Amino acid sequence: MATLAARERRLGWGLIAPALVWTAAFFLLPFAAMLALSFAHMEGRAIVSGLSLDNYARALGDPTMLKALVNSLEITAIVTLVSVLLAWPLAATIAWTIPPRLQRLALLLAVLPFWTSYVVRSYSWLLVLGKNGVLNKALIGAGLLGEPLQLASTRSATVIGFVHFFVMLLTLTIYANLVQLSPNYARAAADLGASRLRVLWHVILPLTLPGILTGAFLTFVLCIGDYITPQILGGNTELTLPQLIMLQLQRSGNFPLASALSVVLMAVVTLAYAAVARWIRLDRL
Amino acid sequence: MKPLAWAYLALAYVFIFLPVAVLVVFSFQDGRLPVPPLQGLSLRWYEKVLSDGDLMTALGHSALVAVISSALALTLGFLAAHALARVHLPGSAVMRGLLIAPMTVSYLIIALGLLALFSQTGVRLSLWTAGIGHVVINLPLCFAISFAAMGDHQQAAERAARDLGASEAQVLWHVSAPMLAPALAAAFFLSVTFSWDEFIIAFLLTRFDVTLPVEIWSMLKSGLSPATNAVGSLVFLVSVTLVVILELTTFRKGRA
Amino acid sequence: MPTPKAALSPLAVLAVLAVTGPARAEGELNALVWCDHTDPALIEPFETANNVKVNLKEYEGTAAGMAILEQSRPGDWDVLVIDAVDVHRAVEAGRLAPLDPASLPQADLFPELVMAENNQVGGKTYAITEKFGYNTISYDRTKVDPADMEDWAALTSGKYDGRIGIYDYYLPVLGLVAVGQGMKTSDINAATLPALRDPLMKLRAAAKQVSDVVASQTALATGEVDIIVGGGEWLTAVLAADNPNLDWTIPRQGGLRWAQSIGVVQGAAHPDLALKFVQYILSPEGQARLATSSCYWGMPTNTRAGDVLTAEQKAVLRWDQQPDYLKRAQLYPIPDAATDQAMQDLWTEMLNQ
Repeated sequence: MATLAARERRLGWGLIAPALVWTAAFFLLPFAAMLALSFAHMEGRAIVSGLSLDNYARALGDPTMLKALVNSLEITAIVTLVSVLLAWPLAATIAWTIPPRLQRLALLLAVLPFWTSYVVRSYSWLLVLGKNGVLNKALIGAGLLGEPLQLASTRSATVIGFVHFFVMLLTLTIYANLVQLSPNYARAAADLGASRLRVLWHVILPLTLPGILTGAFLTFVLCIGDYITPQILGGNTELTLPQLIMLQLQRSGNFPLASALSVVLMAVVTLAYAAVARWIRLDRL
Repeated sequence: MKPLAWAYLALAYVFIFLPVAVLVVFSFQDGRLPVPPLQGLSLRWYEKVLSDGDLMTALGHSALVAVISSALALTLGFLAAHALARVHLPGSAVMRGLLIAPMTVSYLIIALGLLALFSQTGVRLSLWTAGIGHVVINLPLCFAISFAAMGDHQQAAERAARDLGASEAQVLWHVSAPMLAPALAAAFFLSVTFSWDEFIIAFLLTRFDVTLPVEIWSMLKSGLSPATNAVGSLVFLVSVTLVVILELTTFRKGRA
Repeated sequence: MPTPKAALSPLAVLAVLAVTGPARAEGELNALVWCDHTDPALIEPFETANNVKVNLKEYEGTAAGMAILEQSRPGDWDVLVIDAVDVHRAVEAGRLAPLDPASLPQADLFPELVMAENNQVGGKTYAITEKFGYNTISYDRTKVDPADMEDWAALTSGKYDGRIGIYDYYLPVLGLVAVGQGMKTSDINAATLPALRDPLMKLRAAAKQVSDVVASQTALATGEVDIIVGGGEWLTAVLAADNPNLDWTIPRQGGLRWAQSIGVVQGAAHPDLALKFVQYILSPEGQARLATSSCYWGMPTNTRAGDVLTAEQKAVLRWDQQPDYLKRAQLYPIPDAATDQAMQDLWTEMLNQ
């Protein structure tokens, strides 16, 4: 005879099973298929399955491939850092300077360009940053610049395109964190005679660190795996890992090598997650 | 301090709106190239876009995939969150980790994995396969938001309903879902947004019928034109209208 | 009450999906094509005349196209558009069905474009050339000295550093680098490829960007760069109306000729309709529409398209200069699998310099 507890458990399993099965079938199984493919190799133009480590040897040994990994890491690091540095003051200004009544509106405005199409957003930056683009025309017209800035088709363009997106994202996560802080902390610290800067540095910043880290980790994951932004804005003057993966897939038809490179990309993200997992709670976003 | 803060705010908004402004302004370009100088204002690119059958079909596909995949992701995520919040199951930490895991994986990798699976099992690529990918990326989000929203207050109400003889399905439908409505609406809306705008999964997992971002990408690849600006501006206008409507109805009420 | 057992097994889900995949409706033609075929102005007349729907999927690069065919099920595809020099590759992979030459207007083609050595295997015809043009050099007449553009060496002389864009496709550009070195494209192989490395890297050093079609057009039209290596009528014709300063030429060392072929896929579900489509594309009307497709322009192979094209269109396509151009342009390199891989690796390395 089933006890009440056993019946409860069976009900619980029944409710969670569909989500688990879905995740197993369309997340774990595909990953296994990709992993298997990464050990296959190409004979001429055909894929031959097997247990070869050649793809990994190339992915990590070939200077061109390694350079793509390094490019990706560098760009992602710069983007994450710059985005946090720009978004924190913006979130703080919205939380502290703008009257509470208008804060939600200000926040909504700050993230409104989220709702332009993502592909189109990178393309718009191309129109802004070009040699005869809006930015150069405006700066030269205002007499601030003699020669046009060479921005399009450079790493700077890729970084600007990324930072634009992630400043919006981080402003949201950091703001959410800031408004949860009780003003009492700051007031108490100030009562104890701490200067404004010291309150900021020693009290408020540590308290918002989880929010910053969660946002920064999301930035890292989304940035390092993105294909469109560097493809549209970078002018192919250097390659990122996703661009290299797409080249292998689309031009060479080398699915095994693309798989191995993807596994490398995933390993990098997993390492990054392991490094910050103690401080962030993805399931409590 | 204050003037400095306002100045920073102004600069930040300029940066954030710069690409959108340029996009919209040059969608009215009376010439074939969406670059300065502005040669005059014209609506012809909007006419061209609105009469472009492929583009409008893709728009319909995007809406369809977004709504169906989000509804499925929300259902699966909500049920799973309910199970974990209500019943003590062995290995619940592991299961929570597994359900959240896709969030830490790049869309490109999810797409490649599914492509490998589908091509090895002979599944034809279509809007359905892209939709499957979108459920995978949105399920963790829906699960996390539902799980975070569940609290003692609503659990007490569920218990009361159960004591009065309601079946589990009735409890879920008449008690839990309405009490969690704001969170569920937020999860659904976020999922729709992500699916609507997702590119790489839709690009790699569709064949003839494609979604709007993929159609825009092929427009971009086939030549520079203010028509791309016009599409982008239209999508922006429609999305923002939806955001404002939702903000004024669903979310406001939820907070009150 | 739901139980774990009631949950579908993952394999069952996949099996259901595999079976319920969108079925092929009667009167639907599936074509794997280049982007110029997706212009409704080209496709709609055929759809209306035959009361069918043409499903189009574009691809870039033969390897990607072959991979798509590889991953498909028999009967999935009816028509294939492919680089003329890669027809053999597709035939060897068993992807193309033989065509009856009598059903095709071979006699009306420019003689140089029949390309029997490419379109035929073992005496059987598997494809027919439908469109061609040149990969050479496009430039802005007002920004560079047109006389310089007649010599490939001028590009790396230092005069145009930072003003050059390279078209992001390894086959033609490596071919052009070879031509610039006085080599024949047919002589490119694993042994001679290392000789192209230095000139390629020198060209890369002088270039500002390496980009696809639209980014190249954008760059040239906005003055981002003044020269596109690998460009030609396909790049500048679309912009001609708005920017008459854009020009292209074949330098004295020569340029490259591209050509695309069309054929019927082996095991096609609708082989008769597929042949009808090929015939339509090769008809004078189809040829004129394909030549002026919104994605890119290019010369029609059927000389009778000349009666349908307007005088302006023919001027932009440089109809009258073709005899000279055809003489001075070489075909794309046709690398074997190993050389192809080596060329792509060299290209990837160049991108990541």
